[in-house]
Amino acid sequence: MESDWAAENLRVIRTLMERSAIYRRALAPITLLAGSVGTVAAAIGWFAKIESPRAFVGFWLAVAVATIAGCFLLLRRQALRDGEPLWSPPTRRVTQALLPALAAGLICSAIALFSLGGSEEKTASIVGLFCLPLGWIVFYGCAVHAAGFFMPRGIRLFGWMFIVGGCGLFALGIPDLPRPLYAHGVMGLFFGGLHLAYGIYLFCTEKRKNEA
Amino acid sequence: MNPEPFLQLDRVIHEKGRLAIMSLLAASPRLSFTEMRDTLNMTDGNLTAHMRTLQEAGYASVTKAFQGGRPLTTYSLTAQGRKAFTTYINLLEQIVEQAKSRK
Repeated sequence: MESDWAAENLRVIRTLMERSAIYRRALAPITLLAGSVGTVAAAIGWFAKIESPRAFVGFWLAVAVATIAGCFLLLRRQALRDGEPLWSPPTRRVTQALLPALAAGLICSAIALFSLGGSEEKTASIVGLFCLPLGWIVFYGCAVHAAGFFMPRGIRLFGWMFIVGGCGLFALGIPDLPRPLYAHGVMGLFFGGLHLAYGIYLFCTEKRKNEA
Repeated sequence: MNPEPFLQLDRVIHEKGRLAIMSLLAASPRLSFTEMRDTLNMTDGNLTAHMRTLQEAGYASVTKAFQGGRPLTTYSLTAQGRKAFTTYINLLEQIVEQAKSRK
């Protein structure tokens, strides 16, 4: 019947239009890279005794810049290999979704970096080694969740893990651990461990999907 | 049932493969050849043939450039193509509406 056929065509059109807007770059290599860098950085931060709040903030900002640069190179390589434009409309949408929360985290870090020097040691330690890392985790979760609207399913859940985890640790309060150990440990766990776990999951599922 | 909307459907867009291509291009300012081929699971030859038909109808335009020393072919809808696609969707909706109003 013509009307059934027309309704079915409209459904197909809608699905295809949605699919066209989805970000298609393989995420497994990117999350694995971010996870490896996060884990190694946490270990370096702890063993190199990066313990002052300002040094901690500076160190992790440098790690973030290095990770973003590495991810950009991976994305560029994928785009070149697949013969697709790097700055495609889905890439632009994902970047725009990521930016507000990441910018908020960066601004808070910059303020902390400049103001921590003049504050009392205990306050600086709480802000720099407790509040900021947890804040970064929550901001990052928000950024990933926002970008998840333009990416395959599953990414938003990954974002929620950061948001719930960060807020949960805030709720648990300041632990009875050396603060630098706690700060590097939390960063390693979330930005290292969670990314690695998710990267391995994506690697297995993307591989299976490609084989199918 | 009024057969008018069905008879007015654009034959260029009406073909399944080309309708899929038009749908993708309508949702994105431009798409590369490989993006469309992979999303629609088409062969190179099939996609090329459909794109040629759409270009000849004035519905799609092609841009050839280089990225990292490799050729990059991207396609986009022309204003005429966007208008034709909108008309096609409106006609489909009319057909569905007619069927609903008869029930």
